[in-house]
Amino acid sequence: MSKGKKFGMYLFLIIFSLLSIFPLYYMACAATNMSVDVSRGRLIPGTYLIENFKTLIANQDLFRALWNSFRNSAVLTLLCLLICSLAGYGFEIYHDKAKDIVFTILLTAMMVPFAAIMIPMFRMFSKLKMVNTMAAFMLPSISTPFMIMMFRQASRSFPKDIIEAARVDGLSEVGIFFRMFVPTMKSTYSAALIITFMNAWNNYMWPKIILQTNDSITMPMLVSNLLGGYTVDYGMLMLGVFICTIPTAIIFFFFQKSFTEGITGAVK
Amino acid sequence: MNFKKVLACVLAGTMVFSMGAVMTAGAASEEDNKLTVWTWDPNFNIYAINKAAEIYAQDHEGFTVEVTEIQSDDIESKITTAVNAGDLSTLPDIFLMQDNSFQKYTTFYPDVFTDLTESGIDFSQFSEAKVAYSTLEGVNYGVPFDNGAVVNCVRTDLLEQAGFTVDDFTDITWSDYMEKAKVVLEKTGLPLLTAQAGSPDMIMMMLQSCGASLFNEDGTGNIAGNEVLKQCVNNYAQMVADGTLVEVTDWDQYISSLNSSTVVSTFNGCWIMASIQAAEDQSGKWAITNMPRLDDVENASNYSNNGGSSWAICSNCQHVDLAVDFLNSTFAGSTALYDDVISKGALATWAPAGESDAYNVPVDFYGGDTVYAKIVDFATKTPSNATGAFYYDARDAVGVALSNITQTGADVDAELEAAQETLDFSMGV
Repeated sequence: MSKGKKFGMYLFLIIFSLLSIFPLYYMACAATNMSVDVSRGRLIPGTYLIENFKTLIANQDLFRALWNSFRNSAVLTLLCLLICSLAGYGFEIYHDKAKDIVFTILLTAMMVPFAAIMIPMFRMFSKLKMVNTMAAFMLPSISTPFMIMMFRQASRSFPKDIIEAARVDGLSEVGIFFRMFVPTMKSTYSAALIITFMNAWNNYMWPKIILQTNDSITMPMLVSNLLGGYTVDYGMLMLGVFICTIPTAIIFFFFQKSFTEGITGAVK
Repeated sequence: MNFKKVLACVLAGTMVFSMGAVMTAGAASEEDNKLTVWTWDPNFNIYAINKAAEIYAQDHEGFTVEVTEIQSDDIESKITTAVNAGDLSTLPDIFLMQDNSFQKYTTFYPDVFTDLTESGIDFSQFSEAKVAYSTLEGVNYGVPFDNGAVVNCVRTDLLEQAGFTVDDFTDITWSDYMEKAKVVLEKTGLPLLTAQAGSPDMIMMMLQSCGASLFNEDGTGNIAGNEVLKQCVNNYAQMVADGTLVEVTDWDQYISSLNSSTVVSTFNGCWIMASIQAAEDQSGKWAITNMPRLDDVENASNYSNNGGSSWAICSNCQHVDLAVDFLNSTFAGSTALYDDVISKGALATWAPAGESDAYNVPVDFYGGDTVYAKIVDFATKTPSNATGAFYYDARDAVGVALSNITQTGADVDAELEAAQETLDFSMGV
């Protein structure tokens, strides 16, 4: 590649990197400035971070929201990974025509928008006296067609011969799954973990409907509360958004390496 | 010995049982004296309801409210979901609702609301326009709360540069206002107004200032051929063309224009004052007056309303008498409450509150003017208009028309005709 081409490519990449990173920089900057400075468009870090934090915890139960969001997302992610990987593995390894039909029906369910099932679901949980419970928050997304499909795709690249060999050696079906499939599919699990955790953390619509007390508030609900008043404290709002972003960013960076491999269904 | 042991066990068991019973009875009475409330904004509505509970508890020992912070849109979605699911038990005893949504919800979901007409609350003490929002076919469904009276906030220092004072912008007509706006632009280089592009807020305020609306009395849409609306749209479009009204992309930029001295004035619901006052370095440079009135329109006034909300008691409430008495004794009967919540910028629409000393305190930020008393006075002079169940549909349709007119120079009549068609479609006409 010629020097000029290389320079052009780097310039292009630098400009796009700056453009991509600017909203994050602005968010972090705004979190350290007074509301009035944010609305005046100040783009350099300020000294108002502690005051913004104090106002935030005085106005909202930040730690409870963080704990609720973390607890709900972590438990949901673990259960979702277990159930969907079992289902995906089952659909592929114990494959037959009937299961294909069930799988097609499952995929069709992906087409139904959430708004269409929201009210029947609320009705169901309300009849079961489960409104305001953690289970009601988790159950609708504990098993998703997308995750099952992702694990099924990944199972396709899992060598069938190994399964046969394990069976000959006397390993049970459950043993094969947990001792051979799960360790091999680390990258798929990482990708699934990132997607499920982020979806659970950012979920707003369903918790807003099903969770009805201040005690069950989650981070997206808290951020929404910061926007609700006649007067918006932009410094406090941006700090709330910043804090809300941190856990998903950490999870992403931590599992980033495996993410690309997992999403393409690669097996090491 | 054995007998003694058995007796001891029986007595201990009885004591434990009695304690349990007492505790249950205590819990039951606590529940009987507690109301659940849904509302939003910790610094405004939540503060007010908690303060009201504190005042009410002084005469009603043990009374408490359990407030859940939920945004106004979310309260509306939860009501819709609960009604469609056929389970109102998930709703609270009291909830706050935006005035502009009240008609829609009382029309479509009347079963959610408690009829307050004969409840003993004296609605005549509230401003007529405010009560009209929560009244459907003569039935009162809400207790009015905060004031959305329109104030014209002007920068006196910038007006001075243009050779004007706040009095030059008091009790004036739109034609006069638009001419003065040109002078201000010429002398200061700044627009007189900024507005969020595509938002018809200003049009709605202009309409209400003469009691006009996007609906006829029978509830049908009144957009196409509405001469008052046409005049409002023309005034707005003319100011945009003159450069005396600059449209900004979103609400944040609108607030930014007020705080960064890039605009000379704004008119909006009085709640906008809290955002203006955030720029403490501008203290003493702002003044409050009324908005301009439309030219040659019957019932035109210099007063209007934008925003505000009212309390409703849910039909599912298990303690309706307590809820009514609570609201009647506080939001419809306590000057102490309104004297306190004024510190948060929550102004009363309950007339007796306006006579209190707290409303006549000079405010330094507005050059020592008694702005609170002024606003209560504005509120009492505001004409009422029909909002209707399809208020937001009509508003959105007019917003689209307004964008097309100001940005592409589309024909006003044709755009209003199209907006009428959109509204009719939404209404199923």
